[in-house]
Amino acid sequence: MDGPDPQEDSFRHGDGSDSRPTRDEGDQDHALPRNTSPANQRTAIKLPNGHVSCMCDARDPSPQCSGEVVVNGELLSVAESSAAPSTSSLLCASRPQSGHVSPQDDEDEPRGRRSSSSSSEAVDRTRESETASNDCLSEAEPCSSRTLSSPEDSESCSDPAFMDVSLCSRNTYEISRRQSAPDNVAEPAEPDLRQKKHGISEIFGRGLFSRKQKESASAPGWKLFGKVPLRESPPKDSKTIQQESNPGNLTSVSTPNLLSAGEYEAKTVKGAHSPSQPSQGRRKNLEFEPLSTTALILEDRPANLPAKPEEEAQRHRQEYDEMVAEAKRRELKEAQKKKQQMKERFKQEDSIVNAMVVWNTEVLPNWDSMRSTRRVKDLWWQGLPPNVRGKVWSLAIGNELNITPELYEIFLSRAKERWRSFRETGSEAEAEADSGASLADRESSLDLIKLDISRTFPSLFIFQKGGPYHDLLHSVLGAYTCYRPDVGYVQGMSFIAAVLILNLEEADAFIAFANLLNKPCQMAFFRVDHELMLKYFSVFEVFFEENLPRMFSHFQSSNLTPDLYLIDWIFTLYSKSLPLDVACRVWDVFCRDGEEFLFRTALGILRLYEDVLVHMDFIHMAQFLTRLPEHVSAERLFSSIYSIHMTSSNRKWPQVFSALMKDKESDKSGSPTLKSS
Amino acid sequence: MAYAYLFKYIIIGDTGVGKSCLLLQFTDKRFQPVHDLTIGVEFGARMITIDGKQIKLQIWDTAGQESFRSITRSYYRGAAGALLVYDITRRDTFNHLTTWLEDARQHSNSNMVIMLIGNKSDLESRREVKKEEGEAFAREHGLIFMETSAKTASNVEEAFINTAKEIYEKIQEGVFDINNEANGIKIGPQHAATNSTLSGGQGGQQAGGGCC
Repeated sequence: MDGPDPQEDSFRHGDGSDSRPTRDEGDQDHALPRNTSPANQRTAIKLPNGHVSCMCDARDPSPQCSGEVVVNGELLSVAESSAAPSTSSLLCASRPQSGHVSPQDDEDEPRGRRSSSSSSEAVDRTRESETASNDCLSEAEPCSSRTLSSPEDSESCSDPAFMDVSLCSRNTYEISRRQSAPDNVAEPAEPDLRQKKHGISEIFGRGLFSRKQKESASAPGWKLFGKVPLRESPPKDSKTIQQESNPGNLTSVSTPNLLSAGEYEAKTVKGAHSPSQPSQGRRKNLEFEPLSTTALILEDRPANLPAKPEEEAQRHRQEYDEMVAEAKRRELKEAQKKKQQMKERFKQEDSIVNAMVVWNTEVLPNWDSMRSTRRVKDLWWQGLPPNVRGKVWSLAIGNELNITPELYEIFLSRAKERWRSFRETGSEAEAEADSGASLADRESSLDLIKLDISRTFPSLFIFQKGGPYHDLLHSVLGAYTCYRPDVGYVQGMSFIAAVLILNLEEADAFIAFANLLNKPCQMAFFRVDHELMLKYFSVFEVFFEENLPRMFSHFQSSNLTPDLYLIDWIFTLYSKSLPLDVACRVWDVFCRDGEEFLFRTALGILRLYEDVLVHMDFIHMAQFLTRLPEHVSAERLFSSIYSIHMTSSNRKWPQVFSALMKDKESDKSGSPTLKSS
Repeated sequence: MAYAYLFKYIIIGDTGVGKSCLLLQFTDKRFQPVHDLTIGVEFGARMITIDGKQIKLQIWDTAGQESFRSITRSYYRGAAGALLVYDITRRDTFNHLTTWLEDARQHSNSNMVIMLIGNKSDLESRREVKKEEGEAFAREHGLIFMETSAKTASNVEEAFINTAKEIYEKIQEGVFDINNEANGIKIGPQHAATNSTLSGGQGGQQAGGGCC
């Protein structure tokens, strides 16, 4: 009874991503593409009424399911403008009674039906209505079509119309119908119904519409759907299976909002009154309610269908209950999770607002006296509110170099001059080809900056050519190379400048940039002072061994030296390896504590992943550390960093560092791999 | 997975020539039009089969900027193969080959196999370096040569695998002392136990942990 029937499948040509028939297909009736993919069957779930329905979750729609949705034509969907959380929407409309459908009808659905004498009129109407619905639905369309073609997108598809899709598998259902009512041939032409449905079919692909036509005849026996305006009965009742049949009254679900733009006031199925009117307020109540569950309705089998054997009905009922229970569990879980997340977010937002007030009204006005107080330091550790972040960074970094905005302008115009002359002579130099003289210059030049800017936070799409911050980043870096030609542009700088640009005005960003790079640790790295870098790594190793002895010896025995991962981390101040928001928090405390915090962060990261790392070999550790997991929770990282103590035999970072510097002459051993050669 | 040998590779060449993209294409079979900047060094690994033997490639992908040369130099140590990459659409990257080669020769094992790669062969219309020039350079310096496209994956497999074949042949010929890890070759844990001809003693040959 539920084997796939290839012919039936022809209805589904609109399923799936591949074929989306164009709407001007003159005779859809006859030229329906056939998609006989058996995959269509896969998502089908057998429902209690003996039909198979596609259970689909809007969160996880599969193309097949999306296609099915339309099938029933009566779209049960309600499009409300409130951003509907993605919900599962299940609908299974059982085929109406038999009365009118002939086997032939079933087999040949689109064609047979349409070609039947009564259908020609219907076709015309259909077209009309299709046109009408196009207008109404034009907005929904892009979204839904996208969804059809790529299921993963559905979540991002905010068009509620789509979320509320009803799903129904027609296939087996048709078959069963055929079996149960082989002799009925009459076909009702129900133009009004058709109209209603077409609007929906537009969403999913026009080809489906023929199917809908047929559907129109159906009085669904039961359905599952979410967010459908069926809310006359309280959610709990919706689960119940009603035993008595009410053939006339089956459900149509109107789709008022989906079609709201147009005249399609979603209508009810043949004269039956809709059991449900969409209630506008309803959605609000659903916020944390399990949606599909409450919307799941099992209605009875229409009286004019042959009765199900008691046993089967029983089984179906049980299956149905299980499905409901499962769906409910899942949704409850989701809802709880969401609630938790929202709660956390609100809490976070609150604390950000509070912190912002404190920073703005108390700390910033009294910077010098407050900055070192315990309270401010604690507040600082929590992370700076984004809108004071730039200010605090600027103040904390300071301006030892006494750079003024005017000075920045001077260097910037110098840089622009250089670019201009570079561009002009660039081609000549090229023509002179292999002279080789200019090559070294060129690399360190602005040309390289250009190349690197597009490779700076490429995923943000704001620094790339044409992006809003492209020129800004170019300017800051260019001005710096003119300001410090002895350092020039070194890879990694673009990340630091980019983070500053995101938090500060242009000139302030430059000032902070120049002063930041002027700090001893940054200077050592950006000048690639090998000896000095080795010292930093050695000091790091002292604290590494102190804090994480087990991992330290594992790293040592694997020959994994700190330079392999620290270089990237220190050069970019973690902005390349950690998510940007987490990196900014590292910057916050780096501004508070100075260079040692960079190394403390490194130890915090190692500690955070200790359990994974100690079971890896060299190459896996190296790969892991040079490409950290994409999702790093700031909270977890900071609590890990918190437990790293930067003392070794009562010496703090600066003491250890200067002690090592003193050894410099006597002892030349450093990190094994980085021995300069 | 167990392997017979582990070869360390290093990828070198000017910045922006596509070193990281070649590696990504080789290890993940995908292309990222805008790749992150490499700072310091990044890593890749893949298992290949040569002559019926499983060989694990451990690939070090280095930063290309001149300023990082001193850092890159320390990574040659222990490399059995090097991919020296230039960009066929940027002549300066070809012109820099000599200095790269000097560095490589000076800081690596003398037996290190070097594969010269002209990358971005898909950008024919922007070509600035003729294929013949690459071939001539390779011939002159005793390198293997290939033009590749990390974007279309053309010749990428071949570049990595041919290098490994060359190394493997050198092992067979006894050129490499595989007991000296400084040669960039390690014997796999399994192989070490059974291989009597090539490895005399196996002390300290615990190859990279043995897990793939």
